[in-house]
Amino acid sequence: MASFTPYSYIQCPCFDATGQARPSDESPSASSSDAPESDDDHAFDPRSPRSNYSLYPIEHLLYCVDCNQIRCPRCVAEELVTIYCPSCLFEVGSSSVKTEGNRCTRSCFQCPVCIGPLAVQSLEPAPESSSLLTADNAAPPAPGPWALCCSYCNWSSSEIGIKFDKPQGIFGQLAKIRDGDGHGDISVAAVDAAPTKKSGDAEADSTKSRFALMRSFYQSQLANSNSTSSGNLSGTLGEYGYGSPTALSRIMSLYSGNGLAALKPKSRPTEIREADSFKDGFRPSNLDESSSISALRENGYDGTVTNSQATSQVDEGARFVEDLWPIPHLLRSKRAKRCPVCRHILSKPEAKVNNTRWRIRLVAGNYIPSISIKPLNPTDTPGLPVPDTSSLTLTPLKPTQYLLTFKNQMFDQIKVTLATPATTPGRFASRVTVLCPQFTIDANAEDYDINEALKDDRRQDKEEAAPQVEAGKPWERGRNWVSIVVEVIPSSLRIEPKPAILRKPGEAEDLGPLKEDEDILEIPMFVRLEWESEAAQDQVGSTASKDKEAKEKRELAYWCVLGLGRISQD
Amino acid sequence: MSRKQPKGEWIETDTGNKVNRKANLIGTQHIMLGGKTVIMPDAMIRGDLARTATSAAGGPPGSNTAVFIGRYCFLSKGCCLRPPGRIYKGAFTYMPLRLGDHVFIGEGSIVQAATVGSHVHIAKDVVVGEFAIIKDYVRIMEGTIIPANMVIPSFSIVAGQPARIIGEVPEGGHEAFELRERYKSVKTNPLAAGS
Ligand SMILES: [Zn+2]
Ligand SMILES: [Zn+2]
Ligand SMILES: [Zn+2]
Ligand SMILES: [Zn+2]
Repeated sequence: MASFTPYSYIQCPCFDATGQARPSDESPSASSSDAPESDDDHAFDPRSPRSNYSLYPIEHLLYCVDCNQIRCPRCVAEELVTIYCPSCLFEVGSSSVKTEGNRCTRSCFQCPVCIGPLAVQSLEPAPESSSLLTADNAAPPAPGPWALCCSYCNWSSSEIGIKFDKPQGIFGQLAKIRDGDGHGDISVAAVDAAPTKKSGDAEADSTKSRFALMRSFYQSQLANSNSTSSGNLSGTLGEYGYGSPTALSRIMSLYSGNGLAALKPKSRPTEIREADSFKDGFRPSNLDESSSISALRENGYDGTVTNSQATSQVDEGARFVEDLWPIPHLLRSKRAKRCPVCRHILSKPEAKVNNTRWRIRLVAGNYIPSISIKPLNPTDTPGLPVPDTSSLTLTPLKPTQYLLTFKNQMFDQIKVTLATPATTPGRFASRVTVLCPQFTIDANAEDYDINEALKDDRRQDKEEAAPQVEAGKPWERGRNWVSIVVEVIPSSLRIEPKPAILRKPGEAEDLGPLKEDEDILEIPMFVRLEWESEAAQDQVGSTASKDKEAKEKRELAYWCVLGLGRISQD
Repeated sequence: MSRKQPKGEWIETDTGNKVNRKANLIGTQHIMLGGKTVIMPDAMIRGDLARTATSAAGGPPGSNTAVFIGRYCFLSKGCCLRPPGRIYKGAFTYMPLRLGDHVFIGEGSIVQAATVGSHVHIAKDVVVGEFAIIKDYVRIMEGTIIPANMVIPSFSIVAGQPARIIGEVPEGGHEAFELRERYKSVKTNPLAAGS
């Protein structure tokens, strides 16, 4: 059995907004005839498919101090701060992303076979050559040609016939090989002895180059036809040639049939030829697949690409290993996050790529208590490491106690109220009892509490001082944490029909086999926090200024789900 | 590195390193520990693989350190720190391996990186290839193989063979990299305590 670590996930309030907005579209008559289930009595079911989208570990949650609410990765609004290459760690300006695309142009490549990093290596077995790009020493110039080699699977670009004349400017050289010659967007200095790719497909083959050809073809076509009506040519036509009003009206007339054309009958469109040759960027489908078939026959399945290899390629349509080109690294980003409601910034990293500090980082862990779970084994000596919990499973119908530890990171004392349904939702209803549903946790004072350190030591000395399980009392409390006991009686996992007397009329019973993770005992728990904090002083308005000393009552409530363990199948 | 030889499983150095007696530290004169680092049994540090290409003569002592380890690092059972090597100016040489602060290295993992930043968690059975560069706040999942020369940017979660970035460390997950508590939890022999 897979190992199991107890977990606690918290539900973001954005769940409600979507859940309630959706009308119940399934058998409205049946649901209305039943007792009208108001959302208040309807306990949250962590197993409902929708719950997947709103439950997060506390580390993933942010907290808006203005709305006084939890925010999750799904509902925050993200903003780009920095775009960078994950391999060379150079920052890429957003303008160059627009022109150059979302991949690194500084010669950072991934292996097309295994996605490992590629390094430039000399193909000559020169003893003096250094395998690294960064060899800045005055080593004797390694002889060319060069190739990109994978340090993981030993793939080499020479396998598909790609060699480079010099170890620098690989991106430009590769683009030149791929897109053919004569394209302005290749910035690298002209390579005299042109880098070599096998043969045959010397015609522009990549999507990018075909697009460039086709774009220039249609631009010239438009320019020709516009030349009669407007003297304002390619200068303002913009990159796509659709910038001018005449071009727009032509498009409109194309789609609306007689609309605009009828209004202006005299601007009869001059003939536009469609792209129909390679130099126009046109490529007819190759319906003759005999070469593919013979390649398949020759190299078999090993000669074809896997699905993931094909999808990680820049260009689509790779089918055989010789179609696999080195992959320029996709860029990554640093992003700031905003509250979806009030637009305040919740987290914002420093802009520099190598700076790992954050300007703003309002994480939920600083505002709501964390919950850690461990099985309560009275024979344990507190202070010693808990025995391996991964092997622990719950025995059906045997009462088992767990220790929930709530840790408060706020500088205010909080009052916590917990509520759980008496039985867990789902097919296997386990009984749940929270022995101490209400307690307060002291503030997270900054000063180090020597008493606690002493207490730890004392506890080790005297084992008999271990606390007792008692309803209504916390099990143990410390400087800024409280442990309480929750008792569960796991349900049996036997799948048997309910006695007829317990069945609701018309209720369909699910007697299917055990579903994935259905044996995990999950408790939905409603947590309500109350605390008094300083009245918002950061409000610039005068309202708060007169009673600065006054404390303000606050509260926050949310659902969470506790995964305790797997119930054993007897 | 430790003057006193108390009887017990652990040696605690002046700077607070807790080194298990069953740890395998080779070439200790080439190993630099920043302090408060825990080295578990059977962990191995290959300090003997020090740089050979640079002038062997001259230079202050300690300038030829092979393995630098920051503060609050945790080297689990059976892991291995091994400086990477390559041909430099025509001769093979090892280059130093640097670990930042709060670096956790899991059981049986082999690290041959050039640098590992601070707040890095390397799970068990991971191989970090030669000259890999791991930046700060990186989590490497169990069984990952990081190819040689790979660079892993900050706040990445990495897994797979070969490694790929599978996620980002969430904003609330930074504190989980702290190893102070872990350091405190390692109890060296209580009888010999009180260095
Ligand atoms: Zn949300
Ligand atoms: Zn790059
Ligand atoms: Zn590869
Ligand atoms: Zn807000």
